[in-house]
Amino acid sequence: MDLSDLIDQKAIMPSLRANSKKQLLQLLAERAAEMTGLPEREVFDTILQRERLGSTGVGNGIAIPHGKLAGVKKITGLFARLEQPVEFEALDDQPVDLVFLLLAPEGAGADHLKALSRIARVLRDGDTVAKIRATADPAAIHSFLSETPASHAA
Amino acid sequence: MFEGVYLVTLAGTAMVLAAAFSSLIAFRFGAPLLLLFLGIGLLAGQDGLGIPFDNASASYFIGSIALAVILFDSGFGTALSSLRLAAPPALSLATIGVILTAGFFGAFAFAITDFDWLESFLLGSIVASTDAAAVFFLLRAGNLHIRERVRNTLEIESGSNDPIAIFLTIAFVELISAGAAVEPGELAIGIVLGFLREMGVGVFAGLLGGRLIVMFVNRLKLDPGLLPIFVITVALVLFGITGAVHGSGFVAVYTAGLVAGNSGMRSTATLKRFQDGISWLAQIIMFLVLGLFATPSQFISILPVAIALSLFLIFIARPVAVSLCLLPFRFARAETAFISWVGLRGAVSILLALAPIIGGLENGRLLFNIAFIVVLVSLLVQGWTIGPVARRLGLIIPPRSGPLDKVELELPGSAHHELLAYRVARGSPVARGGRIPRWARPSLVIREGRSLKPQDAGRLLADDLVYIFVSDRYPRLLDRLFATKVSLAADDEEFFGAFTVDPDHLASEISAAYGAELREGEADLTIAKLMLARLGGHAEYADRVQLGPIELIVRDTDAKGEIDSVGLSLEPQELAPSMPLLLTAGEIRDRLARFVRRMRAKPAKTPDEPAPPDAA
Repeated sequence: MDLSDLIDQKAIMPSLRANSKKQLLQLLAERAAEMTGLPEREVFDTILQRERLGSTGVGNGIAIPHGKLAGVKKITGLFARLEQPVEFEALDDQPVDLVFLLLAPEGAGADHLKALSRIARVLRDGDTVAKIRATADPAAIHSFLSETPASHAA
Repeated sequence: MFEGVYLVTLAGTAMVLAAAFSSLIAFRFGAPLLLLFLGIGLLAGQDGLGIPFDNASASYFIGSIALAVILFDSGFGTALSSLRLAAPPALSLATIGVILTAGFFGAFAFAITDFDWLESFLLGSIVASTDAAAVFFLLRAGNLHIRERVRNTLEIESGSNDPIAIFLTIAFVELISAGAAVEPGELAIGIVLGFLREMGVGVFAGLLGGRLIVMFVNRLKLDPGLLPIFVITVALVLFGITGAVHGSGFVAVYTAGLVAGNSGMRSTATLKRFQDGISWLAQIIMFLVLGLFATPSQFISILPVAIALSLFLIFIARPVAVSLCLLPFRFARAETAFISWVGLRGAVSILLALAPIIGGLENGRLLFNIAFIVVLVSLLVQGWTIGPVARRLGLIIPPRSGPLDKVELELPGSAHHELLAYRVARGSPVARGGRIPRWARPSLVIREGRSLKPQDAGRLLADDLVYIFVSDRYPRLLDRLFATKVSLAADDEEFFGAFTVDPDHLASEISAAYGAELREGEADLTIAKLMLARLGGHAEYADRVQLGPIELIVRDTDAKGEIDSVGLSLEPQELAPSMPLLLTAGEIRDRLARFVRRMRAKPAKTPDEPAPPDAA
């Protein structure tokens, strides 16, 4: 599975400003609502509910909020690079500045899990993350995300 | 007469020993070992030491048996999981790829040689398949860590493409020796029908034979020394019977090997060890015999043409065929290039080159000599450069774990546990004093030659030898604990899962969010309670609970032994499938459906394969 299947270049916010985790999730929900045509509230509630179960901040300044929604047609990704990192209650207590939001249809099952673990794997690659942090160009970010990080591919 | 026995034995064993010794050299220099074997055969043959051997039928016979043994072993050693990962691209290469390669090569041969069309395509078929022995050896001996999907594709391709080349070659030889004028249309139909029949019968016989082997091994309580002989003999019986009813015996033994090797039957480790040995012997003998048979002094006159053909095969025919075959599968360009480059020809091509001689074709010897040179060039040019090419293409990935000393033993009567021995690596998490999950506690520690009870050994030290009984879900995680120099950080995804969940939330929430499979009455428990229940009332650091598609991991417990942090892994360490069926009907249907869906959604893009399940 390739991340370019999950995320569109249009879904990349290269320099987002947010002051808190809540505001960040709101902004993401707002953008996701535009893209999927779903009510913003519903998206926000879904991802917030997942955050209550345990922060999706996976460490190293990265968070992967996600959730399943009945109204989503296909697995949809959204990526934000923050100007200033925000507190995210992450595993390692580091503030987060790279966020990949993943919304999946209710019935996505295994594809959903596969997509999530793929995203986690790509964002675990130190080089990829460093390259993304160093640019504000959505096209460049998209291509870094779509690369197969060789060191983690097998 | 009696003297003769000793002489032949002496000459034969001397060659085998020379070949065995040469393997040491090959491992050290990464030289294509098979080239050395072949070289020893050549040296001993007519133009070298002068052993007269010119019996094409005998060579073919010995070679076929040897090949059947090798194919059975390579099927036996192919894990179902890697087959699933790489079967579609590999089979595309092994069928269409072989035919395309033979076609391109044949057309070029027709253009630059005096052969007629049929002979040209015959030559194409002879050199169309890649050699399992060469590919396996060079990928493994070179210690090349490449992406698993690429490696599996290459290995499965090379293991499964021989039967098609064999079929094509024999079909062409029969056509030519019959000498009748042929209609191209009729010819094509005849070949396709014959092909389907051979493959169909072969696969069917292989599935059946594989099951039979499993049944025999499980039911008959044969002496452990006799068992491997019995199994390999049954495989050869299968080879014979299938061939006699016009099926492909090679397909049959390969399939039977797959079925038997993946069945989880008893004694699998013993069989594997024996077959490794017998497969080496088969390779050595096959190459020696083929080397003996060849007469290098005949090569000189055809050298330029043969080299031109080889280069065409390496640089044009194979790459074009590979690119076409891999179009529907998503491979990076560098990976496609690498797969093209690992188109090593080998013993099978030389073996097949005997067919025209046996068939009494006028140009038989010429075809043989050309094929022989093509194989030599391929082994030299491609075989020697696999490592540098892989590095150049940026395909080498760092090895997953540090050096590892691991002995797998077989436990009678247990399908899902094994006893592993590890040498504790310097700098590994346990040697640094890290905690040892209870599923990784050794049963025995050997330190400086003394056996210690684990409780007497205290903290594990580097170079301790530990013996651990373990469920077969865990070995990869054990590798991490005992063999890697990387410390276990809290965000180690493989060990603790990608995400964390709050143990005080309800189990039904993870079931809603991730499709975790719960048993009756578990939905209302908290995650901590659920895990505790599944773990038998007592949870410890790094304990794991699998809930269908996900796995929960105890990241930590508090002073009272309550779980206070839980990791969630999306890639549970899977149990090896125990059913020898390759794909169930349901899976095939799912895959087709997914394929169709993707094709519709994205006409230009193509289906891709599930990400490697064990990728890290």
